[in-house]
Amino acid sequence: MYGAPPRRQFLALGVLVIAGFVLPYLLPDYFLYIGNVLMTYLVLAIGLDLLLGWTGQFAFAHVAFYGLGIYGTALLHMRLGIPFVFGMPIAAAGAALIGLAIALPATRLRTVYLALATFAFAECAQWVFRTWDSVTRGPDGLRMSAASVFGFSVGNDREAMPVIAVITALVLAATFYLVRSKLGRAFCAIRDSEHVAAASGIDVRRVKVLAFVISAFYAGIAGGMYTLFQSYVHPDGLGVWTLVLLLTMVVVGGSGSIGGMVLGVLLIGILPEVLRAAPRGLLVWQEFAYGLILILAIMFMPRGIWGLFTKSRSA
Amino acid sequence: MNLALQAIASGIATGCVYALVALSLVIVYKSTDVVNFAGGELVMLGAYFGLLLLVWLNLPYVAMFVLAPAAVFALGALFDRLTLRRVAGRKLSKHVDLVPYVVATIGLSYLLKGAVRVVPYTEEVRRLPPLFSGPPVFAGDVVLQRQDFAIIVVTAIVMAGLWLFFGYTLAGKALRATSQNPRAAALVGIPVSTARMAVWGLSSAIAGIAGLLLAPKLLMTPDMGSVVMLAFAAAAVGGFSSLPGCVVGGIALGVIQNLVGVFISPQAIAVTPFFVIMLVLLVRPAGLFGEAVVLKKV
Repeated sequence: MYGAPPRRQFLALGVLVIAGFVLPYLLPDYFLYIGNVLMTYLVLAIGLDLLLGWTGQFAFAHVAFYGLGIYGTALLHMRLGIPFVFGMPIAAAGAALIGLAIALPATRLRTVYLALATFAFAECAQWVFRTWDSVTRGPDGLRMSAASVFGFSVGNDREAMPVIAVITALVLAATFYLVRSKLGRAFCAIRDSEHVAAASGIDVRRVKVLAFVISAFYAGIAGGMYTLFQSYVHPDGLGVWTLVLLLTMVVVGGSGSIGGMVLGVLLIGILPEVLRAAPRGLLVWQEFAYGLILILAIMFMPRGIWGLFTKSRSA
Repeated sequence: MNLALQAIASGIATGCVYALVALSLVIVYKSTDVVNFAGGELVMLGAYFGLLLLVWLNLPYVAMFVLAPAAVFALGALFDRLTLRRVAGRKLSKHVDLVPYVVATIGLSYLLKGAVRVVPYTEEVRRLPPLFSGPPVFAGDVVLQRQDFAIIVVTAIVMAGLWLFFGYTLAGKALRATSQNPRAAALVGIPVSTARMAVWGLSSAIAGIAGLLLAPKLLMTPDMGSVVMLAFAAAAVGGFSSLPGCVVGGIALGVIQNLVGVFISPQAIAVTPFFVIMLVLLVRPAGLFGEAVVLKKV
């Protein structure tokens, strides 16, 4: 893909921002909460997909960077009084920096080794969140104070939605340009063949490191978004289960496409709420359901739901 | 000092279980290029099948020890036949092979865990009776459970069996040929897809045996599959390609884990396998015993 993004994409972003400002006056809190959760997951899923779907690299450390974004933004605000507008970018940059530190050795690894190394890093990070009592409050979880955005206090779903919609729109716009840039095409080239990419003059290692850093930055932003509408974070929520949830979104939606991410996040993000609303007995089937969905999706929809509607990439 | 000796002695026994699970992961990876993230759930399932056969069907222990791994064998082979064959047969893109495979096995992992969890029977934490029961054995100051000996003996038998099978039988050689070059294997008349199924079954059965050995030492829960992380670390030490390497890795990990618990902090045990994985891969990107990764061209 190249050239300027089509106008309809920006139209969609405009609709998203307007909805973010209008819906808080129209909908009950519960729906606003789901909207905020979905937008946060969208930023997370797009960041994960940049590595997994666009660059073809395993990125099992994604949830760790998400956690860094959450704890970073929250602690900068609570301990140092840094408001969200500065705290979130600092935390996201911190996540990106740690992403860089991980990427430099990790890009020497391939296939199973990369998968294991990133997975191991994520588990180590979760362990640190759980064990570093004095900073993260450890297994008790961290109660977060209301964020402050341009002097306004943002502490519930209603106040958070406009801010979250604007951030999501900015991230999406940046992604539209990114995937159409030289770097975005380099991502795809590496996914399709490292040898061909290297032969066409792409610095494979450098581009892979960049993909890691950008992906970690996205996760850090999503972490900052989380602090806007949630008041509590627990290390247990930053483990394999969240990764599986994100993977399901990416795979079901259709990896390597932004539209696919939107679809995947909508469908899979709403599923737990549907299961929760259903008769009590159904919630225990959650793990089973996600496992089954993952297997069926990878069997019958290799390019996700989005792939069913778009022409084959090779055509 | 006694504490260290004790930690090492019991670490060897648990390490044997990790080695078995690591063998199961590496056999599958070598012959089918699939990283099996459901390996831990196959361990868990082996243990629950065992309990089912013993408690509900009242079978003798020996029969259970054969039937439970056989059931896991069937399950693994079925997963390959139904799911992986479909994923592998689709030449959508030649390059990103690993991602769909890993997603499929993660799916299997949650499917199995979820399936076991919805059975009301598993809500209560249970324990499988050991293979050898009786009072613990004292060797000097070191105390060993009888089950530890059972673990070491069974592990040795499984390893010897694998060595004989892969080295000296026609079927084993056919499987090795399939893993080295599927196309050439097909040309000399080896039924490649059946071979893949057999490998999946064999690897699952080994995981099931590991579950039967481990369950008497641990409490049984649907989450006991998390033991797979130690096996991954062991396999990483073995470079994901060397079978003797992952046996060494497994035993080393069992010992390291116990020593960390004694000398550093019990809290740090949980993070040990991940630390080992990162350390090994940092120093040797293809594991301590591994060969360099050969990237598929174009």
